[in-house]
This record gives sequence, C-alpha cells and structure tokens, in this order.
Amino acid sequence: MTRVTDDIIIRTVARVLIPFIQLYALYVIMHGHHSPGGGFQGGVIFGASFILYLLTHGLEEAKARMSEMKAGLFSSFGLLIYSGIGLLCLIMGSNYLDYGRLSTILRVIPAQARSLGILGVEIGVGIAVMAVMFSIFFDIATGGEPPGGEESFGDRDG
Amino acid sequence: MGNFFLYLGMGLFVLVFLCLYRASFGPGVLNRIAGICAIGTKTLVILLLMGFIYNRVEMFIDISMVYALLNFIGTITAAKYLEMKGEA
Repeated sequence: MTRVTDDIIIRTVARVLIPFIQLYALYVIMHGHHSPGGGFQGGVIFGASFILYLLTHGLEEAKARMSEMKAGLFSSFGLLIYSGIGLLCLIMGSNYLDYGRLSTILRVIPAQARSLGILGVEIGVGIAVMAVMFSIFFDIATGGEPPGGEESFGDRDG
Repeated sequence: MGNFFLYLGMGLFVLVFLCLYRASFGPGVLNRIAGICAIGTKTLVILLLMGFIYNRVEMFIDISMVYALLNFIGTITAAKYLEMKGEA
C-alpha cells in the first residue's frame, strides 16, 4: 500500500491539492463556531491531507515530513492545550472549561473571552486529532512495527 | 422552486439504493468501488439540494466540499490497494 510508484498524474495532483486541503482544514477549525465544523472535523481534514501525501509519495518521504515521534508529540501537545485551557479556567475560580473568567487574563469582556477560549480549545483538539489520525494510518500501513526497527518498512506490503 | 429541489433530491435518494445494491452484491471489486464512488457523488448533490431547500447554501457547501475530498482520497486508496495486491 505504501510503496513508491511512478504514477506521475496522481503525484502531481496530490502535490497541487495538499496545500489547499490544509488551508481548508484551517478554515474549518477557525470558522467552527459560525458554520459546521470545528476542531475534530478540521483535524480529520488535516490528517487526510497527510494520509494523501503518504499514499502518493511513499512511506519514506512521509516519514521525513511527519515521523511517528512527531505525531506522538503533536497529539500530546494538542491534548496539553485543551486540558491546559480547562485547568486555567479551574485555577481562575470557575468550572472546568468555563471560559468566562479568562477575561481577566485576556483583558477583554467575558463574551469575547468565551469566543477566544473555545477557539483555543478547538485548535488543541484539531492538532491532537490530526496527529492521531495520521498515527493510526501509520500503524496500519507499517503493520504495527515499532519506529526505528531494523527491518525496512517498505518491504512489508504485498 | 423548493418543491422541484425536493423531488430532485428524492429521486437521487432512490438512485442511491440502486448504487448500494451494486456496491453490496456487485460481481467483483471494481463494480463495488464504482458503486461506492457513485454513492459519494450523489450524496454530495443531495447535500447541496438540502442547502437550497433550507436557504443556507453557504453552510452546506462546506460539508459537501469535505465529502468530495474524502471521496477522492478513498478512491485513490482503493485503487492503490488494488494495484499493490496484484504484485504479491
């Protein structure tokens, strides 16, 4: 599934399309509270762009862009943003993920603080979902081998 | 005009089931892939027609774009799997 092939049309189409997919994913994350979408959906679209890159350019080039370790770090980082904002609200003296109290830190009115808080949470969720999506596909594509093993990953399929 | 879009959507809804039959019982893998791709395209059009019915096209365009994108990636994945399966 992940071997490199010389199908030039698919590779060119993917190379042209991937930046627009990622831009659209960022739009879905940022615009989540005005239209359908949000952190999870945008993260899934962002992860789909990486999956498309892995399918068209092979496992080795995809690992150079986004290794398994980076995917794990990104998923933890997204979760840290999410729970960090939640705990910050808890420290400020309100409920978990109750963004109204963040207005004293951000120096805005509570309504704007709620909007900014949900935006930060959605960014965190988007990063985590993107990394986990790619990580799951990576594990399936490599047959579940640990990263940095002796065997070459490319010969596993077929 | 709303009724026109409604009946158009209902017609496409019936056609989805014909494609679903082909995707479920179709002889061979290629027929199944073609059936699934046709279902994806019809779903996209149905979503846009729903947007016209509810007068909120700008909202449904977002959903249908995501649907078209994932349909494209799914088709490429299925084609790549078929190509690699032949090599063994």
